[in-house]
Amino acid sequence: MEEYIISLEDLKKLADNLIKEGTDLFLPSPDNSRFVRLKKADELKLAPEARPSDISAKQAAFPKCDPVLFYKRDKSTVELKDAEPSANQVLFGLKPCDAAAFGIMNKVFNWDYKDNFFNKRLENTLVIGLACTYSDDYCFCTSVGLSPVSETGSDIFLVRLSDAQFAARAVTDKGIQFVKKYSQLFAKGDSSKSKPALESIKGPARKFDSKKVKDWLDKNFETDFFNPVGDTCLGCGQCAFVCPTCHCFDIVDEDYSYSEGRRMKNWDACQFSLFTLHASGHNPRDNQAKRYRQRVNHKFKYYIDRFKEILCTGCGRCSRGCPVTIDIGSIVTKIGNLT
Amino acid sequence: MADIISIARGVFENKKADILIGYTKATSEGRTRPVIVRSADEVQNLVLNSSCLNNLATYLTRKENKGKKVAIVAKGCDIKSIVQLIAESQIKRENVYIIGVKCNGVKRSFEGEDSKKIAEKCLNCNVRTPHLADETVDMSDEGLTGKDEKAELIEKLDSMSAEERFAFWEEQFEKCIKCYACRQACPLCYCERCIADKSMPRWVESSPTKRGNFAWNIVRAFHLSGRCIGCNECERVCPAGIPLSLLNRKMVMVAKSEFGYESGMSADAPTLIGTYDLKDKEEFIK
Repeated sequence: MEEYIISLEDLKKLADNLIKEGTDLFLPSPDNSRFVRLKKADELKLAPEARPSDISAKQAAFPKCDPVLFYKRDKSTVELKDAEPSANQVLFGLKPCDAAAFGIMNKVFNWDYKDNFFNKRLENTLVIGLACTYSDDYCFCTSVGLSPVSETGSDIFLVRLSDAQFAARAVTDKGIQFVKKYSQLFAKGDSSKSKPALESIKGPARKFDSKKVKDWLDKNFETDFFNPVGDTCLGCGQCAFVCPTCHCFDIVDEDYSYSEGRRMKNWDACQFSLFTLHASGHNPRDNQAKRYRQRVNHKFKYYIDRFKEILCTGCGRCSRGCPVTIDIGSIVTKIGNLT
Repeated sequence: MADIISIARGVFENKKADILIGYTKATSEGRTRPVIVRSADEVQNLVLNSSCLNNLATYLTRKENKGKKVAIVAKGCDIKSIVQLIAESQIKRENVYIIGVKCNGVKRSFEGEDSKKIAEKCLNCNVRTPHLADETVDMSDEGLTGKDEKAELIEKLDSMSAEERFAFWEEQFEKCIKCYACRQACPLCYCERCIADKSMPRWVESSPTKRGNFAWNIVRAFHLSGRCIGCNECERVCPAGIPLSLLNRKMVMVAKSEFGYESGMSADAPTLIGTYDLKDKEEFIK
């Protein structure tokens, strides 16, 4: 793989070029709460030592709310207009646990129906990943097939060599083309530069065997294992909404007036009690324990059954941000130890 | 004074309650999480310290806990919400066994710089000694200090023009992702069907758009005015970092200055929203 060297100054120049060309640049906000658009190139900061932003980068391909179509009506006619998803964006400094999420979601968004909204956005997105030196009690990327140095999902992958210098690997064709386009900013390098930096990254302490987790889930649908979680889970959607891989959505029509409106695709979450409420009034997941069982099964069993992927990148956001600190890492570790 | 574990054991041995809602250690050091224990055998992992941030009263109105006799570990602010729930006829005094915490304040946050500061709500606390409890437990003082940064912001917002204030909230609400963690953590958001979830007709747009977010956050502030007791759980749990206390505290200030009312202090006093008095001020209605 082609490896290059780029200084922070040149990364800022790159950002400046991109902004001037009309590309949207996204990176974690200064308070690290979410991804925001970079307005000035000299504010570009890459922080491999920072914890994952509170809210993931999934909005780049799957926004929290997205118009699907617009409608107009009068007494006799209805006029429909498709919404055209558009994006021309570069995501800067994504952690491997964020970058890998797009490929995982890609499977469900192109399973039977091809989701034009997701695909168009992803097509027009360049992901610049960054080797991660952070880990805490809630991280577990190495237990779900990733690592702090995974290049999965990145078009270009950066490794910090010093505060002012980064190694850059062109991972995909898109990445190679991009480096070519801005070749004056990338100096030729080799893996001897990034190797020691990568080897010094230890990764999270939490380890579990996801195969064992699945084995137990395969056999234990009817279980009271999740009851203690159900006791305290508040049933909010924080975990799903900060998650880089949760992809459930709700379709609603919104009227601006009697004659005009739009159809929206909004994030939804399986922890909401209304999520499975039927029109009849019956609710198959009528308590929080059943809803949490669904969350764990979807991530560590159903998605593997259907797509051979774990629906989790081990970023730990759901647990770190949970109002009642329900820790999915420790829960699946416990499950893994049950078999 | 007895510690939380022996008190909890006593609760079950003396059959004071069917379940006990308390705190236990979370995965990482410095964090706690809520737990429900059901027998004296399960009490050994209970903890009580200045990292006990959650207001556990939010569990009292849950369907599965209704009709049970519930023991609850509650700091003064949490007791205010219990008092308010009794005043609003949501729970019965005799069904809740309050283990009141003598508290000198909790951390502002579990982690980071804020974990060294005292929570802002604790700075002007008037219930460090529980005002309603069946027994009390001491929580050691860790000498937390800090400044009430929000008080200055509330003043600043007050001095702004309506347009400036609107712009401020526009920027804040834009961040809302409609996860409803604020509502779910709130002990006084107990509606079985929240107005935000009603769809026939739809009162609050479910989309986390500018319009939908304004509708939700303002409706919630209105529904809590004269009721919010200031535990600030909504702000603490908000993953988007929206400073909701600026709204709620302002409402608390108005209830006090206009009606001389403070929620959560007396279960017998009539509620602000539930009563009408001929002496109520009217001049603010324009």
